[in-house]
Formats: sequence, structure tokens, C-alpha cells
Amino acid sequence: MTATIGSTGTADATLRGEIAISVRDLQKHFPIREGALQRVAGHVRAVDGVSFDIKRGATVGLVGESGCGKTTLGRCVSGLTDPTFGGVYFDLTEADHANLVALLAVPENDRTDDMKRELETLDKRHRIDKLGKKDWIRYRRNCQVVFQDAFASLNPRHLVREIVGRPLKVHKEASGEELTERVVELLERVGMGRQHLYRYPHQFSGGQRQRISIARALALDPELIVLDEPTSALDVSVQAQILNILHDLQSQLHLTYLFITHDLSVIRHMADEVVVMYLGKVAEVGSTDDIFDDSRHPYTHALHRASPDLEDDPDAEFVTLEGSVPDPARPPKGCRFHTRCPVATSVCGWEVDDVVRALEDAGGSHFGSLTDVTRHSDFSADLVLTDEKAAVALEEALRSDRVPAAARGAIVELSREGSRVRVSFQEVPEVELTERGPGHVAACVLDQSMRA
Amino acid sequence: MTTARAPQPGGRTDEAVAVASVVGLKIHFESKAGRVHAVDGVDLDIRDGETLGLVGETGCGKSVTARSFLRLIPMPPGIHAGGAVLFRPHQRCPDCSGIGCSVCDDTGRLPVPCPHCRGSGCSVCGDTGFETIDLSALPEQELRKIRGDRIAMIFQDPAKALNPAMTVRDQLAEAFYQHRTGEVLELAGLADSSNPLLRRHAGQRSRLIERALLSSPGLRSQRNQIETVVDSMVASALAETQIPNPVKVMERYPHELSGGMKQRVMIAQALACNPDLLIADEPTTALDVTVQAKIIELIKELQGRRKSAVLYISHDLSLVRRVCDRVAVMYAGRIVEVGRTEEIFASPLHPYTRGLLAAIPSRSQARGELVAIRGTVPELIDPPPSCRFVDRCSYAVAICRELDPILQAAESGHDVACFIHNPPAMAVELPTFTKRTS
Amino acid sequence: MATEAAPRQPTPAPVVGALRTRATRFGELSRDVLRNPTTLVGLLLIVALISIAIFAPLLVEPNTPDPYQMPRDWGALNEPPGTPGHVLGTTPHGGDVLYGVIWGARTSLRLSLIVVSVTVVIGLIVGSLAGFLGGKIDEFLMRLVDVFLSIPELIFALAIAAVLGPSFANIVLALAAVFWVKYARIIRGQVITIKQNEYVDAARVIGDSRFRIFMKDVLPNSITPVVVQGTLDMGNVVLIGATLSFIGLAEAGLAEWGVLVSQGQAGISAGRWWASTFPGLMVFLWALAFNLVGDGFRDILDPKTESKR
Repeated sequence: MTATIGSTGTADATLRGEIAISVRDLQKHFPIREGALQRVAGHVRAVDGVSFDIKRGATVGLVGESGCGKTTLGRCVSGLTDPTFGGVYFDLTEADHANLVALLAVPENDRTDDMKRELETLDKRHRIDKLGKKDWIRYRRNCQVVFQDAFASLNPRHLVREIVGRPLKVHKEASGEELTERVVELLERVGMGRQHLYRYPHQFSGGQRQRISIARALALDPELIVLDEPTSALDVSVQAQILNILHDLQSQLHLTYLFITHDLSVIRHMADEVVVMYLGKVAEVGSTDDIFDDSRHPYTHALHRASPDLEDDPDAEFVTLEGSVPDPARPPKGCRFHTRCPVATSVCGWEVDDVVRALEDAGGSHFGSLTDVTRHSDFSADLVLTDEKAAVALEEALRSDRVPAAARGAIVELSREGSRVRVSFQEVPEVELTERGPGHVAACVLDQSMRA
Repeated sequence: MTTARAPQPGGRTDEAVAVASVVGLKIHFESKAGRVHAVDGVDLDIRDGETLGLVGETGCGKSVTARSFLRLIPMPPGIHAGGAVLFRPHQRCPDCSGIGCSVCDDTGRLPVPCPHCRGSGCSVCGDTGFETIDLSALPEQELRKIRGDRIAMIFQDPAKALNPAMTVRDQLAEAFYQHRTGEVLELAGLADSSNPLLRRHAGQRSRLIERALLSSPGLRSQRNQIETVVDSMVASALAETQIPNPVKVMERYPHELSGGMKQRVMIAQALACNPDLLIADEPTTALDVTVQAKIIELIKELQGRRKSAVLYISHDLSLVRRVCDRVAVMYAGRIVEVGRTEEIFASPLHPYTRGLLAAIPSRSQARGELVAIRGTVPELIDPPPSCRFVDRCSYAVAICRELDPILQAAESGHDVACFIHNPPAMAVELPTFTKRTS
Repeated sequence: MATEAAPRQPTPAPVVGALRTRATRFGELSRDVLRNPTTLVGLLLIVALISIAIFAPLLVEPNTPDPYQMPRDWGALNEPPGTPGHVLGTTPHGGDVLYGVIWGARTSLRLSLIVVSVTVVIGLIVGSLAGFLGGKIDEFLMRLVDVFLSIPELIFALAIAAVLGPSFANIVLALAAVFWVKYARIIRGQVITIKQNEYVDAARVIGDSRFRIFMKDVLPNSITPVVVQGTLDMGNVVLIGATLSFIGLAEAGLAEWGVLVSQGQAGISAGRWWASTFPGLMVFLWALAFNLVGDGFRDILDPKTESKR
């Protein structure tokens, strides 16, 4: 069995191109329902336009805090959730990939009929939510998942033999005695053995259960394994065992990993390339060295500074971020991180809501007397207060240092007419990922190394 | 962290006295499979004003040890199988009435002389000269006075530790009503009031009828005074944890706050009464890393200001390194090593501590070469009298299977439970242990 | 972790290995039952009552042509217990109380088995469809369940039996119409919880079909509360069934405890206590036994305690 896995991985690699998975402008929105009638009141943009490629045999680390969309993205890649827009492509040749990127770069309305037809053919053959049944089964076998909670991801009423052997049974690869032998082989790969065949999941420790999960994921000789926080529920000594196993399997079987985690030290240890996400968007993509030694996004930098590491100076203070993650149903304009960014500038996308929040946090009582808000655009609004006195106070507050200096710099109009205060901010487009080096992109208006 | 103290009873001015000591504590649990020795002979001193880290893996008994301070372990199935938890409560400094002065070293708290020996040292107070209470034998009613007042606790999951049906204000106010009745009356200018209704209200013992009486025109203003005082106490407690706009946050319910915010409310609640000992049980495990950093900084800052002792329980060694003055490493119901943080991290003596440190992925380690500790934690059902780590230890020799090493000083201020460093009296062959110098 | 270091055992044949683990599991379960004294008492009572029901034809001579009809001895009305030929006495209609007690057990077993199995199946289907498919189907089925639940069960059963006329079959029908709703609710709730488990996602990732995922992963893990409720209902059905026949919804002369209690109640004030007391006691024992065991199952099968074993 070893031989077959090894050869499929390498022999075809040259033929099929370097890219195992290509995520293109992926979006996933969840409706927010309200009221007794469950009307859709808005959408949470859990993943909002993410693109990156995973090279064959490489490990891509996906980091971010809870709610940044990393798990949803992982579910889209593993085919458990269909994306709202965009897609996950697999099995692309180099030429196909270049073609696809070029086609998708053209805005949807400007595409000619030829382009549309070409895209459709590509979608049908390579986009995982549009595949025909046969191709879908092929993808299903090629992409497996190891979940975070090894206890919840193993059916408590199934024996280890049934759990690990199930993929083989479903795809009619083996049964009876042969199945048992295959399962034993798989268990041995993860450091377990024949004596564990006839036990239930609850008879194992957390680390062993995660090994069983990995053995099950290996059963169909997949190319790509999505690892969704595989060690966050484990103790550090057991985590080390699992990480070592994952590393050994990768080099033996030429596996490709999408490693999702919130733990930077694990990412540094495991990944070749890192994707940093914040509020559904990619903040920075680069090689592990780029991300750790030459990060170009203030958020990546903040993550580094907030994660304790054994090699840090123990007396150094943690550099912390202000505020909390904004509501993903109404993400900040411009750069999504600007509300918490320590180096935010006036062109980062300040708007009325940011200033209101800042004033509220500063303990102001200006908004107790707020009666109405008229929005002219995302960046401009009229605030109506109960009386003129309150309006004067608000106008003064908006000019004071209770509002961040960068936000004040972004105000292009601030006028008062009786009890009505009009405030307009500089309109800025959404910040885009820009090249910072070979294979290193970041979404920040500044271009400075953050590892000073 | 050893703070110089003004002259104290018994003439002790040298090392800070342990504010709490765990002595040979054994907590067992009855289960279907047998008796689980979850905590099996733990000795631990928490010195006044220090932050002591208690680290270990899942199931090592660190949380059980922490919970035994406030007797939060349900019995049964828990069994108190031996040992004691000693606590030396402080009183409000009489010179400055809690504001902070030179006598109390700005903490606003002073130790209480032992009532048995008047500070000269006796068996009850363990020769410290300070009042010593055995928390494991204290009547429930007495314990309640200590809980949340002298010893406070922060839990791992703030979402579960806060009452979802009460506003932040009401949850925090409870602590003041319960433990600061006198202070509340004093600040409300009602200290001399002999009205029992008001006194009961300030202690939150008033009934519905009494509260109705208090709404009568004559008493309402006084009642409002009490409530205004408590409100301002709550607001200042919240402000201390750097919660923006505390007056507004007070009126919120827990579910309206973010995780980090909830943990701040928990901390505000825990520190409300200026406790002598704060027990933090994995306070940041449920939080994101950037939020965790803020909470850690906050705990450090508050601890520096209040000089309360902190027992910090965590599984995260790199975090403990940044927070604690001393570290105790726990394994399978025992403390295996305890010492100053720098020493534990620079030259760990116990093979288990060494293994734990090596297992943490760091920049310098190549992929696939993390040094994992083989095997898993042993079952704690009726454990044999041997070193608990023997099955996983790469240094293990015959003696480790026959005898149980006890926690002894290997160097000054650095105790370890291992035969390598504390050879048994009889002559046995011991492995060589190259001391790591970082 | 002694397991990992354990020496390699000789390969057990797969089936034997699996059987052994399952047998151990069953052994653990039965040991739990035996350890709990109230469950054990309940279980012994159930065994006794069911034995009476099964061996009824051997215990007393069956009446002909219909053994479920009480034999009438018009020469012995209201005989007290101890009368030769009528150990437990006779009813005002000359029915033998002992015959009623014994064949009443058989009637009760028949009633409860039919009602519980029919309602469990209906509830299982409705609940599974609603829970697993969700959406509009769920919405519709659950509103239907709400309608049924908003009618008091005894009155609803009474109404059905009254409309369809007094007969045993109609009692079965009435009880079935009332009891399925509970199972539908329980199963739906369970299925919704269970299908969110990661092992369901894991099965999807493997490529298993929806139907097989439902049968292998969702249903077996949802069934425990149904077992508990089913056991409790074995008692409840007989209780309500007896109530219905007490108020006269069973055909006259049926060997059923409720009917006997009803026939005997008039004589209680005259000191003829036996015709009501013995069948009443049987109803009590039957309901008690199944409730004891049902509660025991609830504790034993609780997944929280199960996983720790």
C-alpha cells in the first residue's frame, strides 16, 4: 500500500501541475434571520473574497482569530459547505490555472461570450461545487479532513475497525479480512496497532483519538488533507506527537496540507506558506519566513506580539490591540483592521460608525440625545440631536482628541446647522492585496516592515 | 517580589509569609472503575504578593487543587482524603483604612496576628505568628465570608461563570453588599444610622416587604443613597479593569458583551473586595490571542498595584513564563517541581518539566523533530507506590519503580521530586543527568 | 496508556473480536442494571408480570371461544376470596377475579406492545424526516405535532373512543393517536443535535450517502431517549388504557383490569372489596415496574456517564 500512495503522489505531479488546490475569490455569506417570521435581515460575510493556491506537497497555514472565517474556508475547501460566490478548483494544469486567473481577473460584466463559455468548461471540470458525479467522487477521495475535536468526530457507537475502515467500505475497496488488514496497516502508520481494532472511541485518550482520525483520513490515499485545528484540544506533549506524525506522513506520502489554527508557534513549525485572515478577508500571504520575519501587515504583527513564545524576552510587555473584533455583519470600510490598528492613517477607511464607537468608548454621553441619523453614503451622514447645545458638544467632541487622530484627519466636512451635525469622511476604496516580495502580498496602505 | 514589610508581629521582616499553604492535600474521586487519586499529596506555598504558576496537562489535578481552596468540589463523588489548605487572611490596614500607606506598603491590607499565641508563633499558625485558618475544615458559613472577599476566583469560561439573567451591575454589586456592608453604610453617610432596615438592605438581606417599606418617602432617599454608593463602587471596579465607558457596561447583560469584556467583568468582580489571594483558573484559554494578551497585561498590572497573591493555573508554559514569579509543575496529582520561573525555564530539573518544555514548538526546532513525551498520563485509579512518571521517563531506573520520590529542595528555592537530584538513602545506581544551561 | 505498550496479541478473528467488545459492553450495561436496586426490583416485577401474561393459558383454563372474554359463573355472584374454584372471589357479574387478573395481564401486554411499537415507528419516521431534512417539511410536521400536543391526551383518547364506539381495538387506536407525538418530538430534537456532530461531517467527507449517514451515524445515536420513553410508556399506556375501559370504552366482559375495577367499584361500599382491589393492584404494579426500569435506563444510558465508563 505504501508504494501505491507514494507513486501516485509524485509520478502524476509533473503531469498535473504544481497546484493542488486553487481557491479563487471565495465568498461565503450566512443569512441573519430576525423576528418571528425568520426574515433575512442581513448577511454575515464569513469569508469575503479569498484567493490563494496550495502547491502540491506543501503545507499552507491558515491563521486568524475566532470569527475570521478560517473554519468556514476550510469547510468550503473540503466540500462540506458550498460557497456563495467564487470557488475552489482542483486538478488544474499550469496552463489551466493561468487561464483561470486571467479569466477571473476580468470583471463579470465585461466578459465576452467566449470567456464565459471557457469559464464554464473550466468550472465543470475543476470547480468542486460544479463537478459531475464521477469527478466529485474523485475529489471526495482526494481531499480528506481531520477535525479539531477528535471525540466529536468519531461515532461513539462504532469500533475503531469500522471507523477507519469505513472509507474503504464506502468506496468498495476492501471488505472482510482484507479490510481488517488495511485498517491495521493504517493504524500502524499513526503509531497504533492491531490491539486497538475492537475498541470504542471513548476507550482512548485524546491523542489516540486524533491518531484514529488521521488514520481514517489516510484510508483513501488522499492528496490533500484539511487539518482543522488538529491539536488545539490536546496537551502540549501530545500535540508534539501528533505534529511529528503529521510531518512524517507528509514526507512519506507526499501529502498536501491546509493547516488551520490560531496558534502561531504551531504554524511556524509546520507551514511552508501562511495565509493570515481577519474578518473574512486575507490580510497577508507569504512564505513562513516572510510572515514571521518580515511581516507587512499590522495585524500579523499584532498576532506575533500577542503570542507568547519560549524564546521571547520574558519581561517584555505584550503589545496589545485596542477594542474587539467588529461585527462581521457590518464590517469596517476600507481596511477592515483600521478600527484596531495601532498605525492607522487617515486613508484607512474611517466612517461615521467608527467615530461614534470611539466616542462611546471614551465615555461620552453625546449619543444619549441622538434622535436620528441620515446616511448620504457610507462615508457621510447627518446626525440629528435633540437640541442645539448637544449638537455643539458633539461637534466639539468630534474635533477633540477623544476621536483618534487618524480618524480626525479623514474628516473632510464637519458642519452644524441647528441641532443637525453633518460629518463626511474621505471616501476610500476597499484596500487590496499588493505585492511585497516574491509570493508575498499584504492588504495594507502602508509599506513598511513590521519587524522593527 | 519579596516585599519589605513594616515590623510585624513576631518580629518577622524577612521573607514574605505564605498567604496560603496546601499541606499534603489529597482529593480523591469515587468512580465506577475505582478510586481516582486526582490530587494525591500536594504541598504548595503561595507567598504574599507573588504570582505562582501551577502548570500541568489535562487531568493532572491542577484545577482540583485550585478549587479545593474554596471547597468548590462536589462531595461526593469527591473525597477529602487528607491534608489541609491553610489560609492566612489579612485585615484592612487600620492606619489608612484600606487606601494604602507606608505601614501596609500601599496594599491597604495587613496580616492578622494569631489569636492563639498573639504573634509569638505556635502550632496553630505554623510558627508564623499570623492567624491561620484551615479552609478544608471551616464551617460553610465561615467559608462563605472568605469566598469572594479574601479569596476570589476567575474561571476559564466567563460566559458560563456570569449569570445570564443579571446585569453586570447587579452581579458586581452583590460582592459589595455581601462583604462590604459597613463600608457601604459609611460612604452613604449612614454609618450611625441604627435603622435595621437600612442595615439589612446594605447587606442585601432585605426582603420584598422590607424593600417596599424602604420605598416610603422618608426612607427612599437613604435607600437611594446606598444604591448610589454601590453604583459608584461598581463603576470604579469596572474602570479599574480598563473597561471603556463603565457606566454603560454596567447596565448590560453578559450576552451583550464580547468574550474579552466578560473576562474583564469577571476580573472586576474578583478584585472588587481587594482579596488576599486571587485564583485564576486558565483565565485566557477561551479567548483569542490578542484578547488574551490584553487580559494578561491587565492581571499583571492589577496584581502589581494591589499586591494580592495570585495562583495562576494554566497549561500554557510560554504564557506562565511571562506572568509568574514562581512555577509549580504538576503531574498525575503531584507537584513534581517548584521553583523560581527563570530557574524552571533555564534549567528544569525534573525529566517531565524538561519534556514539556521540549515539546513546545518554537522557531529553532526543525519540523518533525519536536521532542514528544512518549505515552500518555497514567490512570490515577489506585496508583502503585512508584514515581508516577516512571513509564514515560527516559531516565527511569529500577528504584523509580519501587519508591515514590518526595518533593525536596535540590537547590535553594528549587524543589524537585526525583531521585536523580535527591538520591535515596540507600546506595542505588542513578542515571546521569546533564544539567541544561540556557 | 498501558494499551500501547501491550504485547501483540495473536490476531483474533474479526467477528470474534467485535463480538467480544460488544459482549463486554452489554456486560457492563447489565452490571449497571444489577447494581441499581430500584431498577433491579422493577426488572424483576416486569419479568413476573410478563411471565403471567405469557403463561396465562397454562395458569388458568382459557375461556372458549374467546379467551379474552371473562368466563361467567352465574351461580357464583360476589363470592369472597377463598371460595372453592374462585380463589380471588368473583365479580357482581360472576366473573372469576383470578381469571381477570391473569388474562388482564395478557390484555395489558398486548395493548402496550401494540401501542408502543406502532407509536415508536410513527414517531421515528415523522421525527427523523422533520429533523434530518429540516426546512419546510420540518415546519409542516412540527405544526402538526403542535396541534396534537395542544389537546389533553386523555380527553383526546376519550373522544376518539367515544366516536368510534366502545371496543378494545378503538382503545388501541385512541392511545396510538395520542402517544406518537411525543416520540416525533424526541426524535426530531435528537436528530437535530446529533446531525451537528463532527462525525456526521466526517462521514460526508468520506463520501458516504445521506441515507447511510442517517442510518449509521444519526439514528443509532438518537435512539437512547426513545428507549427510555418507550419503557415508561409501556406503563403509561396500560394506566390510560385502564382509565378508558374504567369509564366504559372497552367492550363489556373483556378480561381487562380497568373493566374489572369498574365492575367492582359499586360493591366496595358494601364491603365487597376484592373485585376492584386485585386488578387495581395489578395496574399499580405494572405502571410502577415500567417506571422504575425506565428511570433506571435514563441514568444508565445517559451518554455523559456512558462515555466515562
